[in-house]
Amino acid sequence: MSSFADPTLEGARSSRPSRARRAPVSRLGLILMAPAMLLLTLFFFLPVALTGVFAFTDLSTSTGIGRGDYVVTPNLLRELGDRGMSSADLEAVSRASVTVDAETIERARAAGVDGRFLDDIEGDFLGRSFDAPSDFERDLRRLRTAPRRARDLKSAAALFETSVLNQRFTTSDGLSAKLETLAPEVTPAARAQIVDASYTGARFTTENFERLATQKETARLVANTFLYVGATLSLFNVGLGLFLAVVLFYTPKGMSSLFSTLWLLPRITPVVLYAVMWKWFTWEGGFLPILAEQVGLPSFNYMKGSVVTAWATMITLNGFIGASFGLILFSGALRAIPVQQLWASEVDGASRWQQVRRIILPQMRWPILFVTAYQTLSLLSSYEQIWLTTNGGPGRTTTVWALEAFKTALSNYTGNLEYGMGAAMALVLVVVGLVLSLIYLRLFKFNELVGRPKIEI
Amino acid sequence: MRLHLDNFTKCFDGTPVIEGLNLTVEDGEMLALLGPSGCGKSTTLLSICGIYRADGGRILFGDRDVSALPSQRRNVGVVFQNYALYPHLTVEENIAFPLTVQKKRTDKAEVARQVREIAELIHIEALLSRRPAQLSGGQQQRVALARALVRKPDVLLLDEPLANLDAKLRLEMRSEIRRLQLETGITAILVTHDQVEAMSMCDRVAIMDKGEILQIDSPTEMYRAPANRFVAGFLGNPPITFLDGQTAQEGRFAMAEGLTLPLPAHLRNMPAGRPIALGLRPEHFGHGGAGQASGRVTFVEPQGREMLFDVQAAPGVTLRSIQPTRDDVAIGDEVTWSIDADRMLAFDADGRRL
Repeated sequence: MSSFADPTLEGARSSRPSRARRAPVSRLGLILMAPAMLLLTLFFFLPVALTGVFAFTDLSTSTGIGRGDYVVTPNLLRELGDRGMSSADLEAVSRASVTVDAETIERARAAGVDGRFLDDIEGDFLGRSFDAPSDFERDLRRLRTAPRRARDLKSAAALFETSVLNQRFTTSDGLSAKLETLAPEVTPAARAQIVDASYTGARFTTENFERLATQKETARLVANTFLYVGATLSLFNVGLGLFLAVVLFYTPKGMSSLFSTLWLLPRITPVVLYAVMWKWFTWEGGFLPILAEQVGLPSFNYMKGSVVTAWATMITLNGFIGASFGLILFSGALRAIPVQQLWASEVDGASRWQQVRRIILPQMRWPILFVTAYQTLSLLSSYEQIWLTTNGGPGRTTTVWALEAFKTALSNYTGNLEYGMGAAMALVLVVVGLVLSLIYLRLFKFNELVGRPKIEI
Repeated sequence: MRLHLDNFTKCFDGTPVIEGLNLTVEDGEMLALLGPSGCGKSTTLLSICGIYRADGGRILFGDRDVSALPSQRRNVGVVFQNYALYPHLTVEENIAFPLTVQKKRTDKAEVARQVREIAELIHIEALLSRRPAQLSGGQQQRVALARALVRKPDVLLLDEPLANLDAKLRLEMRSEIRRLQLETGITAILVTHDQVEAMSMCDRVAIMDKGEILQIDSPTEMYRAPANRFVAGFLGNPPITFLDGQTAQEGRFAMAEGLTLPLPAHLRNMPAGRPIALGLRPEHFGHGGAGQASGRVTFVEPQGREMLFDVQAAPGVTLRSIQPTRDDVAIGDEVTWSIDADRMLAFDADGRRL
């Protein structure tokens, strides 16, 4: 095997047996690792890095993912006013002025204004500008070729008005220059602020985290997530898993493997199918409500009808998936306990219950810790079952952090998908997961676990 | 307490592995169940302690029939081959375990006192706060013994207790277990496949093969007068040499290969032509006696104090001799050594001793 994996080392040994060489990194090993590394980079490191980047932007549907433009809108001016910009400056920016130049004449021609009238305008006013549109209209009326009707004249004059409002500029300098000509009295500092605020593309910001830290909703999400992870983990993934493992441990072999397989069904059923089955099970007209009706219990849509039943449904359906993981792991750990130990405890006088409590359970410490650690992480980031069933409802009572992040970024009613905010929420999850992993590794004393056993026989 | 197996039968999947076994271990006696792997000795032991249920017959502790009782209520102490210590408990907790699971609560001070008492008896009082993983094999063995004895069981059962120890520790634990058994006066059964253990530790040895007890006797008696060929072959190290042949004229024994020897004194007047087998132990070849055999030394195995010689006395017939170490014989030498014919064992065609 070693010659296959490392031909260079073998060669070195036979030619220079006296010289001890450090084993070189096997080329074959690197080649075999490469696909995994590529996939890891593409589907783990890159997304995590991008999440990290997006988390510090206000990327959303409205900003788009490309480069943005600079647009001053009336809304923006109102916002700036709210933020304390002087009304004089705002007035100046929103002011329209009239300029007669080649550009505006061309615009008017394109709009279908009479050509002779335009020629006259060009002859008399080219290069001039007017502060107030009314002055320009008064001057136009004096022209011989001016339209008879006041409304035509007004609309023709309006074509010479230029305003910075609602114009798209691709660069900040373009907008800045325009502002300078239109509203020269605005100070450069205020102008810079306007230009900055007028950017429609995504920009870097820590606002997402500020929002997460300050909004009331966050506390609810955290509490929901704690409840969801804690209850699913303790009641099902560990509790039920351990209970089943111990019960099946004492069950005859054929029976126990049949039951283990049955408990695997929730995990191997496609998740959508599983969710649909739970809907049949709990919705009005479904199995449980009909059964409840028959025995005189309250019968309603248990999945979405009340907060308590929604939580119960959500935890149970997630727990049934997780229980099989614990069951398999715990069963393996139980089988690893030497049978003589169980015999010894029986001979020592321990009842079945004492055997479970005093011999078996204490030795299940590591498997329990492992399942807890592993499942905490996977529950923290799982939302698909919730999304497909209660969808966080009724209201937002069963919305957990991961679901909220998913909805914020990728799927919501309003249609404004806040990618940046969603990424920020996901990043929080990643960080929490990493911190928990580190804690668990410490807790497991990982180095000791993979170390050599101390028992000598 | 006297232990009695009355017509004990045990089946696995409907196939009887032990049928109608009768065995009595006297009060305070230590008995070895000796036999090759798969002979049913461990099955017997696990049935006595209640891990296996007997499929027939009775198991009596004194006058108490325990056949139907679960192992929890049999009051037996068992030492398993791998000690089966509870790895998550300290030595003290391990030893105290049988006391703390009892229905009637023993108070803590009393438990501690009993644990200390047994630990002192077994010389492990210094280890009480350790965990099994921090103990050597011999120490684990002692803890297992202490745990088995702390409840003052009616019977102590030892299932290959020395198999996992190295040679030196095995020697030490051999006498240690025997000392404890004698000091406590407990009735004990030792299951082993090692004849030296069985013979050196026990008052009596029961040899088992294929689910049957072939012979029960004191070690010396069993060695001197084995009931049959299997027992003779199983006991003795280096093992006995069997010579298959026939009785001949004038109280002699002749083999087809050409070797002839005088018959043991009590068989001299057997009619000629009867097929018998002689068993010659190595210590009876080369140590004086009426017969003699000569041949070429084909193998010499020095063992320190003694030496083992293989002598080819006829084509295909190798006699084995054990003698005090000597350096005048080497491989290839022709030797003529005496055979103590009267102490040879003789077996008939069915393997029974004559």
